[in-house]
Amino acid sequence: MSGLIPLTVRELKKWYRSPVFFFVGLIQPFFWIGLFGSAFSGGGGAFGSIALDNAKNYITFVIAGVLTTTALFTGMFSGINIIWDRRLGTLSRLLASPISRSSIVFSKVISSIARIMVQVVILIAAALVIPNGLEFANGFTLFSAFVIVSATLMIAFIFSSLFSLIAVKMRNMQTIFGISNLVSLPLMFASFALFPKAFMAGWLESVAVWNPVSWSAEAMRNVIINGSAISSSLMYSTLGYLFYLAILTLAVLVLTYYVTEKEIRE
Amino acid sequence: MSIIEVKNLTKIYPGGVKAVDGISFSVEKNEIYGLLGPNGAGKTTTIKMLTSSLKPTEGTAIVNGKDIIKDSLAVRKTIGIVPQDLTADEDLTGFENMYMFAQFYDLSRAEALKQIDKLLDLLELTEAKDRYVKGYSGGMRKRLELGIGLLHNPEILFLDEPTLGLDVQTRTRMWEYIKNIVKAMGVTIILTSHYLEEIDALADRMSIIDKGKIIITGTSEELKGSLKGDIISIICNSQEQAQALSSYPDGIEPPVLKDSEVRLSVENSDKDLAKIFKFMIERKVTPLTINVHKPSLDQVFIKYTGRTIKEAEGGEDARKTAMNLRRLRA
Repeated sequence: MSGLIPLTVRELKKWYRSPVFFFVGLIQPFFWIGLFGSAFSGGGGAFGSIALDNAKNYITFVIAGVLTTTALFTGMFSGINIIWDRRLGTLSRLLASPISRSSIVFSKVISSIARIMVQVVILIAAALVIPNGLEFANGFTLFSAFVIVSATLMIAFIFSSLFSLIAVKMRNMQTIFGISNLVSLPLMFASFALFPKAFMAGWLESVAVWNPVSWSAEAMRNVIINGSAISSSLMYSTLGYLFYLAILTLAVLVLTYYVTEKEIRE
Repeated sequence: MSIIEVKNLTKIYPGGVKAVDGISFSVEKNEIYGLLGPNGAGKTTTIKMLTSSLKPTEGTAIVNGKDIIKDSLAVRKTIGIVPQDLTADEDLTGFENMYMFAQFYDLSRAEALKQIDKLLDLLELTEAKDRYVKGYSGGMRKRLELGIGLLHNPEILFLDEPTLGLDVQTRTRMWEYIKNIVKAMGVTIILTSHYLEEIDALADRMSIIDKGKIIITGTSEELKGSLKGDIISIICNSQEQAQALSSYPDGIEPPVLKDSEVRLSVENSDKDLAKIFKFMIERKVTPLTINVHKPSLDQVFIKYTGRTIKEAEGGEDARKTAMNLRRLRA
């Protein structure tokens, strides 16, 4: 895919050279954990722990969901950058050079994933250091690391690509903001990312089981809460979530490649 | 053999705006070919189709032996483009922008660095190469765009309004850079502009394009020659003298008399001026002022379109077309 490396380097340089964008991206995770995570930390006790899938506290429960929704919201920006390139005329120039069309979109997806991974590391660090924060009560295994990294990578890829696809034919910044908000909120709330299943209405739960945000959050949650004590049934269900995510990642990869190679216009 | 052969190229945007209407022309190797026309005439759309970033609705073109539709990737490898907009990334340095584009053309690192050095030198940007582009002046940015377009030693360079938005001084300097580049690199250039003097100063041959159609093609001299001669405007001391001068018999068209001014159309003012002086002495005509008007491209544009370029750009229809095209292309 010619042009992918130089274009990705460009995106990363633009990111870390833009101080506001860079620091907002770094600080945002602290708000998620510090404010949102602490808001529900009062409901402890045995009942609370059972409702929270046996997590020691709400932050331990919610961290997997927060990692996933961070990927969702940061992924939104990869589409916006395509529209900027179109408006500034950069896209037109890129399209007149002999690079692969899809490299334009995939460079933004990769840089978006890189941003998300940095945020994920900060989120976990923040969750570990705050009082009554993240506890790996049953240890942190190689399998836990594999699940967290692969689920984050896949969910980051899926959302960054999908939001980029929306932007492929779009010229208006307001429209993409509108669509992104419209899509993001139901994806976040109709999932098991932030709230325990026990609190959910039956109809919402039956929607949430098909939501990739739930797959990612549940997979990570299983290994964060259970660590080395994970039961074989939970391990299979975790691997099942990763399998669904892998299938969706592959489908989105093929779709993004096909659509951008054929359809991207200045 | 022509390096570019355009046949019946047409572009109709969704919504029915016909930006380019069946144009045909050819460009020879190593010439500078100009497309002159007002904003919204279809110049940029033509360039976008020839550089394979926009698909024609009808017709096609052969660029450097390759079909722009069937073999678009091969076309893109051998052409360079300097777009109307300032596209270099503001958050990168001039060097980083150039190096990124060099990598698109499979140049080795050594080749890329050598070529970048050469172009930075030619375009007098060496000192500014490590500064962020957001700190560049308009002229520097345009030069950087020119350098980016030339990184891979293209056979053909498309310059779309290369001096748009620059002040007169910077524009004239830009022309010098373009001329130096042609001399140093031997590249064929397709140049679009709505500045008459720019096309006149740079282009070997040109087509006047208006409302998506090519009106006439030729060298600057040929087009001006089609106006049939120069006009000599003489203001005399009195109306009687002007009357006497208006009987001058050797003009190519009948003299025009208006109060004490006489306008004589002659084939070549350099040759005819002596004859006119002799005639004035014989008729005791004492001129107050004598002005020689050589044919200009502006007059050529008026002759073939019935309006000046400024009128064409200021007209409601042209403004709407230009706005629509910008919106469709944006």
